Amino acid sequence: MSFTNDSTSRDGTLGGGRDSGGAGSGPGGDGNAPALPPRTLSLVAAVAALAGVVVYAVGLPESIGLFGSPLSDLTLPAALLVFFVTTVVASVMVTRAPWRVVDIVVASVLGVAGGLVFAVWNAFAWEPISGALAFFPPASAILVGVWLLPGVLGGLVIRKPGAAVYTELVAATLSALIGNQWGFATVWYGLLEGLGAEVVFALLLYRAFGWPTALLAGAGAGVTVGVLDSLLYYPTFSAGYKLAYVGLAVVSGVVIAGLGSWALTRAMARSGALAPLPSGRVTERV
Amino acid sequence: MIAVRARGWGWRYAARRAWAVRGLDLDLEPGQRVLLLGASGAGKSTVLAGLAGLLDPGTGPDGSGRGSVDGTGEEEGALLLDGVPVRRARADGVREGHARTGLLLQDPLTQTILARCGDDVAFGLENHAVDREEIWRRVEVALRWVRFPYGVDHPTSRLSGGERQRLALAGVLALRPGLLLLDEPTAMLDPDGAALLRERVGEILDSTGATCVLVEHRVGQWLPVVDRVVVLEPGGGAVADGSPREVFAGHGTRLAEAGIWVPGVPFRPDRRADDDRRADVGRPDVGRPEAGSRAEPDRPADVGSDPENGPLLAARALAASPEPWVRRSRRSRREAESVRPAVRDVSLDLSPGTVLCVVGPNGAGKSTLALALAGLVAPVAGEVRAEPGLAVVDGHDAGPHPRRWRPRELVRRIGTVFQDPQHQFVATTVADELAVGPRRLGLDPAEVTARVDDLLERLGLAHLARANPFTLSGGEQRRLSVATALATRPRVLVLDEPTFGQDARTWAELVRLLLGTVRSGVAVVVVTHDEPLVEELVAHGGATVLRLRDGRPVPGAGAPGDPRPPHGDAAPSATPRRPDRAAAAGQPVDGSRIPAGEAR
Amino acid sequence: MTVPDVLGGPAAANLGAPLARANPVAKLAVAVAVSAALVLTVDVVTAGVALALEAVALPWCGLGPWALLRRGWIVIVGAVPAGITTAMWAVDSGAVLAGLGPMTVTEGSLLAGAAITLRVLAIGLPGVVLLATTDPTDLADALAQNLRLPHRFVLAALAAMRLFGVLAEEWRALTMARRARGVGDGGLGGRLRTLAGQVFALLVLAVRRATVLATAMEARGFGVAARRTWARPSRFGPADAVVALGGVALAALATAAGIAAGTWNLVLT
Repeated sequence: MSFTNDSTSRDGTLGGGRDSGGAGSGPGGDGNAPALPPRTLSLVAAVAALAGVVVYAVGLPESIGLFGSPLSDLTLPAALLVFFVTTVVASVMVTRAPWRVVDIVVASVLGVAGGLVFAVWNAFAWEPISGALAFFPPASAILVGVWLLPGVLGGLVIRKPGAAVYTELVAATLSALIGNQWGFATVWYGLLEGLGAEVVFALLLYRAFGWPTALLAGAGAGVTVGVLDSLLYYPTFSAGYKLAYVGLAVVSGVVIAGLGSWALTRAMARSGALAPLPSGRVTERV
Repeated sequence: MIAVRARGWGWRYAARRAWAVRGLDLDLEPGQRVLLLGASGAGKSTVLAGLAGLLDPGTGPDGSGRGSVDGTGEEEGALLLDGVPVRRARADGVREGHARTGLLLQDPLTQTILARCGDDVAFGLENHAVDREEIWRRVEVALRWVRFPYGVDHPTSRLSGGERQRLALAGVLALRPGLLLLDEPTAMLDPDGAALLRERVGEILDSTGATCVLVEHRVGQWLPVVDRVVVLEPGGGAVADGSPREVFAGHGTRLAEAGIWVPGVPFRPDRRADDDRRADVGRPDVGRPEAGSRAEPDRPADVGSDPENGPLLAARALAASPEPWVRRSRRSRREAESVRPAVRDVSLDLSPGTVLCVVGPNGAGKSTLALALAGLVAPVAGEVRAEPGLAVVDGHDAGPHPRRWRPRELVRRIGTVFQDPQHQFVATTVADELAVGPRRLGLDPAEVTARVDDLLERLGLAHLARANPFTLSGGEQRRLSVATALATRPRVLVLDEPTFGQDARTWAELVRLLLGTVRSGVAVVVVTHDEPLVEELVAHGGATVLRLRDGRPVPGAGAPGDPRPPHGDAAPSATPRRPDRAAAAGQPVDGSRIPAGEAR
Repeated sequence: MTVPDVLGGPAAANLGAPLARANPVAKLAVAVAVSAALVLTVDVVTAGVALALEAVALPWCGLGPWALLRRGWIVIVGAVPAGITTAMWAVDSGAVLAGLGPMTVTEGSLLAGAAITLRVLAIGLPGVVLLATTDPTDLADALAQNLRLPHRFVLAALAAMRLFGVLAEEWRALTMARRARGVGDGGLGGRLRTLAGQVFALLVLAVRRATVLATAMEARGFGVAARRTWARPSRFGPADAVVALGGVALAALATAAGIAAGTWNLVLT
């Protein structure tokens, strides 16, 4: 089966492509982008960084108020978001690796598994453990890595553009559907946390999936959730607390989500379960 | 009614060095029904996946197909359906709303796609863009074809394996494929479910005239359905081809050796020339101190051979249910509690060196009984009682209730082999897997290594010692799961469907292994649908048979077929042991109190 | 709470109720609108008004108090401690009501705590109603047909959820198999290690099943880029639009009340 991209693809929103059923749909061979020169990588990163910096430098107008708060207060989050989205979009456009059915189903299963882990974690572990950490409020950030696992894991296992976002989104949506403390806010979180991990895979143009990538992706997701939490859920924290919160969230993302999903991916690959996926072919031919 | 043509076709999976199939030349006339045979690893399933157009060589980063990122392997030669390359045929079929092929796989659980039966059958039709009214019309027809007993809104989660498999068949048939591909469709079904599916497939092929390619280990039962047999060799294409009669006459013995159940070729472990050696392989000498060589610190004076030793394990008026939290149905709690237990009114004794076969139709409570005897689910009523001969090991009395034993105590006393070997694996290598149990017993490392090496050697797994258990073949996984249970030298061994989905070779190995285990003084409980297995165990292991129906022992039911008394050189038992009858009558049983020494 | 229970969709709900009957996308819109409005602010008035309006709509949701409690206990479990933590740790303002070392409860922090609790409840309630009254299959149909999300992803996610319903039984087998293998005792550490191993084993089984499931789906024509029809149409009618708009109106009303009362404050600052 050859994989082709064309503009009529209806499923193109995440993968940018589709798997077509055979030779009848056009010449094969353009499905997988040829090896990209490192220049492209730097270009993507530069463009994305530039976009982010521009937003930061120009700043959101202070004159425009949103319900009494000056819009300029949102400059940093907005710059980050622009950087993330630009990176991912640019990288997806140059990578153009379409999703196969097995990619989608495995990603979905990882997402659903993550959602169930969330459900158990939210219901039985989060409250008591975070309660025990209440002596230093930002300390609860060391637990957030659990919520970042599916995204990084999805990215490492599936190795397709959008895999981190999709997997994390499925996990978060299921968690919200099952019911948790945060309701549908979880879905927004899932989207942004996934994006935080995705940006790392995208910056590496979906070509590197070793442990450094995993740790970086965990850190990316950790930054996102740290910033989000300290803005949305701990607005009453002092600035120092907020900084500590973000820092600990990054540590948690690196250790739990990054290292954890890297180890999980490796263990799953060794069990042979990932054989139909590129991530499952870590061992030599047997 | 599709013609198939293969010319030098081959496929190699990514990450494999060997070709799964290579050099396949094959022509099938429209309407032919072909049985594809071959040892495990001969690429039968690969051929079916190829015919279904599902093997995808990808294009690779360099467009050569080599080391491709997206493809799952490498292809050579040509595979055509009515002259059209398979993958294009599949895509054309989807676009035209008329599927070329329909593929039925082995595992019923993974073929159910959606939550409602009707939706599940409709799934393929939706993908083929069939109009809504036509979809539901075809769904109805397909469900009727397979004699599906439920309506379209019935939840798929409540189906049995056989029902699931027929639902999957309906989903395939609704597409009206011209080529039906069946990949061991009955391997995981009980005999009734398998017979029903076979019957349906035969009728449907008669009425539609579709071409059919079938892969199946248990050949005999499918013979009425097929008119041609093709034998594949690993990486070697077709090595025999012809009518069933010709192929079996010419290649029967070789096929049998390759693990295929060939009609007319007896496959009895005791009749094999190399039986003695093999039987020894299958006899890990559990429970018997070996002459001098190894210290057996955990083994008290040979329990099995002590004629004064009574039963190890006894059940009295036992009733049991699967653990409540997994009850499938979403009934109210009160309603759920009033549901009768899965198995009840069972009384039996297990003595050293005896075999109990638990048989009966699906849903009769066989597995629940096994789990209760194995100390894995608690009795709802009555009791499972461990006698001192089982409860006391090394002077440590774990108490009379196996369900309350700690895992460490349990594993030393009762070994359990689950239906799916993968459920039991807890380690990352075969050697570690075998070492888990002995380590839990606190044996010293030298003894652990000795036991592991011994089992690896005896079960022919030595060359796989460093492999990940999940990557083994089905037969190897089964042998390993039995070996892990034997590694702690338990006095009772409980096996749930040990021969399920196994080829003839693994089957024979298992029979040898079980008989050897019994002879070494272990009490063995086997839950099974497999009537030949029961016959073997009755004939050569002196097994007693407990038949369950609707959760209760069936009065007067013995071994399948003729309720002959146990015989055979392996078990020179004196008294007919029929705990099932006694149990059915509600009396305490004493029949199986056979001096174990005599069973040697 | 078992997996089939969680994934099984409606239970003990009157599905004929006007809001329960609405298109899943409409119910989703309510949950999304309310969560988006409330996540932006922590104040008693906005959250309180939203919760009050939701309570007014509740009788049309077809959920009795018990069904609501069964489905929504986790929201309450989360809401109360979150409020208490905030009350103790928030930046102090107003009169000190109680104190213990660095923990102080002031008027300001008490109000913030109450706001957090109300917010969690108000965000959670629409989600509870959505889940309790919606079959996952219908939700997927609506997402793919009405919201036009990519159907391959929606259907695969649905199939994956169905797969996990089956895996509940596998979990039980894994639990027993581990006991039978002699692992699982040996203190909390041993138990946790066993649990982790078991979760991993289930994940491996799930992924294996997923790859076979993908084959089964492809064998039925899934994944070929072509037109697809839907056996069960999902219709988004005027009544559904009213429900969705009602959710938006609810969010707007609550926000307006907060602004009017002067308590509304953008948290992103």
